[in-house]
Amino acid sequence: MEKIRKKKGQEEIVGFVLIVVIIAIAFVVFLGIRLRNPEPVQKESEILYQFIESSMEQTTDCVIRENGKNLALNELIRECHSFGNTCLNGENSCDVSIASLKGMIDASWKISPQDVYKGYEFKVNYYLNSSSEDDGEEIFSLIKGNCTSAYIGNSYFIPQFPGNIIVSGKICP
Amino acid sequence: MSLLRVRYSKGQFKIQQMVFIIIAIIILFGIVSVFFISVKFSSLRSDVEDLRKEAVLTQVRKMTGAPEFNWIMSDDCSSCVDLDKIFLLKDRNSYKGFWNDVSLLKVSRVYPLYDIGECTTQNYPRCNSVTLVNKGDFEAYESFVSLCRFDDTLKQTKCELGKVIMGFEGVE
Repeated sequence: MEKIRKKKGQEEIVGFVLIVVIIAIAFVVFLGIRLRNPEPVQKESEILYQFIESSMEQTTDCVIRENGKNLALNELIRECHSFGNTCLNGENSCDVSIASLKGMIDASWKISPQDVYKGYEFKVNYYLNSSSEDDGEEIFSLIKGNCTSAYIGNSYFIPQFPGNIIVSGKICP
Repeated sequence: MSLLRVRYSKGQFKIQQMVFIIIAIIILFGIVSVFFISVKFSSLRSDVEDLRKEAVLTQVRKMTGAPEFNWIMSDDCSSCVDLDKIFLLKDRNSYKGFWNDVSLLKVSRVYPLYDIGECTTQNYPRCNSVTLVNKGDFEAYESFVSLCRFDDTLKQTKCELGKVIMGFEGVE
């Protein structure tokens, strides 16, 4: 009789411990999911959109045709994607586009391991269909530092029939 | 003196046990909920702060649409401002006190930069900034714009990357 009573008491303790263990596991799983953050989190940034939009209007040093005008950066990116022409001064339209955008990024954002922003990624891609899931055709990209955790980002459309050129930028704190 | 002995029945003891377990579980869930809510609210506060900053940035950017600033040579450039027009406003007496609500209103070149800072009639356009209002003691917000003007050397419109900087008094 005494033995049976002891066994019952043991069973209850085991049950209680089991409940505590299950709750502890659930808590650990929750914390794991919460803190792991496998995908970098993007915050849409108004200032980054303004930066990309304004930088696309920058007048570059590139003139493609004799007696033609100096092209704005968005026109030069179109030229780089569609024709790959060289400027009258002998420079490649894509190289001038890259140099202009890089100059503006470096002048606008302080990016280094010691600063608030640790890295950036600017990609200029052509999409035939902007709703498609694929990465599109890369025109050029500018990457510096490491963008592994959360970042601020935004993108800007340049119409280029029959698709669009999308300039997307990310800056990582 | 007689001792009153209270004997609990087995059922009562079990109910007590169950109550203790339920209380323990509730306390545990309470701690987890408090932790979860504090994590959630800390990110919410920073989100609200970000949203407010974005709203102010949008307001600063709206300034570029004002007739005193906007670039009318191009229809499809919402980010363009007329640097010549802004420079002309600088010492114009009729515009004294026009921007009373702001403590700082400044347009700065970002890229490419020249050696000279503030624009004057002697160094314009090879200078970096035009300050329209500067009362001091403000919290500043910046918005990227394109600084456009007609360039005599190129004989065409020239746009460069710049910023409109607005400072407000007592913004928290």
